[in-house]
Amino acid sequence: MGVTTWQALLAPGLKSRATATQRPSLPHPGPTTPQALVLQLKQVAGQDRAAFAALYSATSAKLYGIVLRILRRRDLADEILQDVYVKIWERAGDFDPGRASPVTWMATIARNRALDEVRRKAPVSLEDMPAGFDPASDAPHPLDLMTASEDARRLRDCLNRLDGEKRDMVMLAYLEGSSREELSQRFSAPVATIKTWLHRSLAQLKDCLGS
Amino acid sequence: MTERPDIDALAGEYVLGTLDGAERTAVAARRGREPDLDAAIQAWERRLVPLSEASAPAMPPAGLFDKIEARVGATPVSNVVTMERSRNRWRAMALAATALAATLVLAVGGLEFTRPLSPVTPQSYVAVLQKDGASPAFLLSVDLASRTLSVRRVAAELPAGKSYELWIAAEPLGPGMHSLGLVNAAGVQNAIAKLDPAIVQKATFGVSLEPEGGSPTGQPTGPAFVAKLIPTGP
Repeated sequence: MGVTTWQALLAPGLKSRATATQRPSLPHPGPTTPQALVLQLKQVAGQDRAAFAALYSATSAKLYGIVLRILRRRDLADEILQDVYVKIWERAGDFDPGRASPVTWMATIARNRALDEVRRKAPVSLEDMPAGFDPASDAPHPLDLMTASEDARRLRDCLNRLDGEKRDMVMLAYLEGSSREELSQRFSAPVATIKTWLHRSLAQLKDCLGS
Repeated sequence: MTERPDIDALAGEYVLGTLDGAERTAVAARRGREPDLDAAIQAWERRLVPLSEASAPAMPPAGLFDKIEARVGATPVSNVVTMERSRNRWRAMALAATALAATLVLAVGGLEFTRPLSPVTPQSYVAVLQKDGASPAFLLSVDLASRTLSVRRVAAELPAGKSYELWIAAEPLGPGMHSLGLVNAAGVQNAIAKLDPAIVQKATFGVSLEPEGGSPTGQPTGPAFVAKLIPTGP
């Protein structure tokens, strides 16, 4: 099955579910600025529990969204999110605002933990999903999300310059944690070819972003 | 800086997430000693992170933060867990002919003595709350029959102006750690008098270093050592 549109890729099932599903109200990340997050991380490094709680309420919906999309199972995502915040608590002192934004730093911890978990196990499949789980049920409009920042607009423009399938591969890997084998099945190409395509796509992206 | 293309592709795939488990582990180990690789990984993290904006936020279940708080309140010490798994090894250690081990044996022996003859549910427990593998820090012993405990500082320095505080965590008691008082306080032996023995038996205990007089926040604020109880009976 090929994936052709951004909407379909970014939020599978969005079209069919959008009218039928009442979106639950999410904890609004609110006016939390990167500066506020930097300050909170600094306080967390000093073992400030109130700051840790504030950081959790400001960022947990985002990080949970990231790990849930990769792990696809709520019970597993619950466990992994705990690990992620324990790690944030333990490593807050390593955070260097000169090298990464707080969101990059935390999202990286979350993705790495989720990917380690998903690569440790047999690949998850749609059949593994518990009944009633709908990954798109609380999805805001994906294109709105991707235009939220200047960096996101640039990346989106560069992704759009890749061939459709190659762009889809990059996004499926990053967002859904798809392995080379899963991509190989999905795009009916040998694993070695997938690897070559991924490398080319990454090189093209890097050029386009003008690192 | 000249980047080797293979390094860049490897870093890109690492961040993208398409390496298999063994490759991921290898790259994670290599980046610690290869600054080029580490820098390439961080550059890819920065490039691709806007894509995570496309993951819809999702509400984690209520109560998850309480679990996280309980975990960071008292970081478990890995070898305490090991000892939990291997009671026999713990006994072997306790019997080792060192002055320290002798202290442990005395404490355990005393408990054995008062243990009611119940073949089903052990009544006496100990927990070793350790700083690291080399130095036992606190020995906690609990007698469920009399609902008393004793906590003995075996090899832990008490810095000036500080106190050690004893904590209990158990799901029925609510989230977080609950103070059982200061380790050297009079009456600490009766700290569990009002608690259900079934809860105490399965609880996690901890000791943390606090400002003199105890934690000002009601939760551990300093480094803490935690462990679960180990039955001393058969």
